Amino acid sequence: MQGASLKVVDGIKSVVRDFLRKALESEAADAVLVPVRTPAKDSYAWILTNDQAVLDEAGPLAPTMPVQGAKALKSLTRKGQGTARVIAVMRPCEVRAAVELSKLNQVHLDNIILLSYDCTGAVPLQDYVGDPAGSEERFDSMLEARKTEESAVKPVCGICVDFSLVDSDIHLGLIGLAGESALLIPNSEKGAALLEAMGIACEEDTSGWMQAVSGLKAEREDKRSKALAETGASLQGFDGLHAAFADCVGCHNCQSACPICYCRQCYFDSEVARRDPAALLDTAIARGGIAFPGDRVMFHTGRMAHMSLSCVSCGQCSDACPVSIPVADIFSYMADLTQATFEYAAGRDDGEPLPLRQYREDEVEKVHEIVKGAEEEEVAHE
Amino acid sequence: MDKGFTPRITALLCQWCSYTGADLAGTSRLQYPTSIIAMKVMCSSRVDPVLLLKAYLSGSGGVLLAGCHPGDCHYEVGNYHTRRRFAILKAIFDTLGLESARLKLSWISASEGPKFAQVANEYTDEIKKMGENPSKKKMFL
Ligand code: SF4
Ligand code: SF4
Ligand code: FES
Repeated sequence: MQGASLKVVDGIKSVVRDFLRKALESEAADAVLVPVRTPAKDSYAWILTNDQAVLDEAGPLAPTMPVQGAKALKSLTRKGQGTARVIAVMRPCEVRAAVELSKLNQVHLDNIILLSYDCTGAVPLQDYVGDPAGSEERFDSMLEARKTEESAVKPVCGICVDFSLVDSDIHLGLIGLAGESALLIPNSEKGAALLEAMGIACEEDTSGWMQAVSGLKAEREDKRSKALAETGASLQGFDGLHAAFADCVGCHNCQSACPICYCRQCYFDSEVARRDPAALLDTAIARGGIAFPGDRVMFHTGRMAHMSLSCVSCGQCSDACPVSIPVADIFSYMADLTQATFEYAAGRDDGEPLPLRQYREDEVEKVHEIVKGAEEEEVAHE
Repeated sequence: MDKGFTPRITALLCQWCSYTGADLAGTSRLQYPTSIIAMKVMCSSRVDPVLLLKAYLSGSGGVLLAGCHPGDCHYEVGNYHTRRRFAILKAIFDTLGLESARLKLSWISASEGPKFAQVANEYTDEIKKMGENPSKKKMFL
């Protein structure tokens, strides 16, 4: 793998800005989709633009993620790919969510060039809103140092293993490189064609960067499995589940902030999911009482069954929760498990079909193991 | 344990195979327990895992999902998808320390009346041994 060496003079953000500017000037792209600070300066919004003046104001790497980038891409491409070639600057987890959504036909990536970068993590939204200036500073220092400060970022960012190259078209490598250099790496035919059209030659060796990335990855994998095992241990049984979600107010913000939950109407918000009022009193008498809002465990475990195979551990659900339930840690714990059952990893590869969209007559070992009873009966029947 | 305890088992049976199998068990006068509350669904793959979850959290002693044998689904591949979805739900139960033995998947064809009766009897015994579904007493679910 080879890349183009870039010189970082005025910070990493301006390297990206310069690149985008050139892409627009050379007409290699028609527009860019980037996070831009809101007028009140206390948040960011995704902006689709081809205006250089707007680009000057763009993050274009944002400290926080109020809206998951894959959601913005969905708004742009949900009816199929447009004719405009758009470069979208996204975190690796946003790219992975976009890949998942493209498998679900909610996003169309044909004319989108995903530009990603070595991510040092995102500041929790509440922290950012509470202290925008301080958060900007902390994020910039992490970005320039190319090092995550766990206390400054979302808990899932500190245990993220996909912080670097994912299934993007172009990647900006930063980790392990000296302060004044960065690597622009083409990661798909589309990405390579864009760089070529811009006259950017990719002849730099990337092995040093790759090594640094895999070193950090190994460290993170260890940290992740330990942290998530702890999360899992606290979730056991009805009591564990109830304790985890005891404060849940049933707002379903976690679901609406999730990039993967794309259904126009969620089952859990539908009429059929509501309990029959006439039966509630009977249930209350039988159980000694019944809490409102009800069915919280059903909502969360049901959502796990519906979407954990595609969860990208982006942490948006935790950001969205008004009562600070660590939803993303819980879902990441589950996701690592369900995805492993099918030897699948959400967003890893756009050519890898969704586990629930395909099957194997001769199932993967783990699936066999899990549905053992039925399989044994089947053998007996033969 | 209380000998008189009869669990309620929610049984979701695909209409082309398992429900017909249950019917056959009935018309062949095979005994199977009254614990089975049978519901007809078009195909085992029509059953979203959330429906199984709902039955469980509503206090069903057991939840049985049955369909045609792999390869024999009326919709050709429905039950292969069922198998995967069921595996996910089971994995979630196991991971969360919920009693996954209260979920059961079975393949029963239209001609397997005896097998239906056997599964119904054995599963009922198993659930009897497990006792009441603890969710039946939970206020905060
Ligand atoms: S469940 Fe949470 S962490 Fe997973 S993809 Fe959805 S918002 Fe991101
Ligand atoms: S955002 Fe938090 S309070 Fe709202 S439904 Fe999700 S877990 Fe419950
Ligand atoms: S019709 Fe019986 S399982 Fe599909």
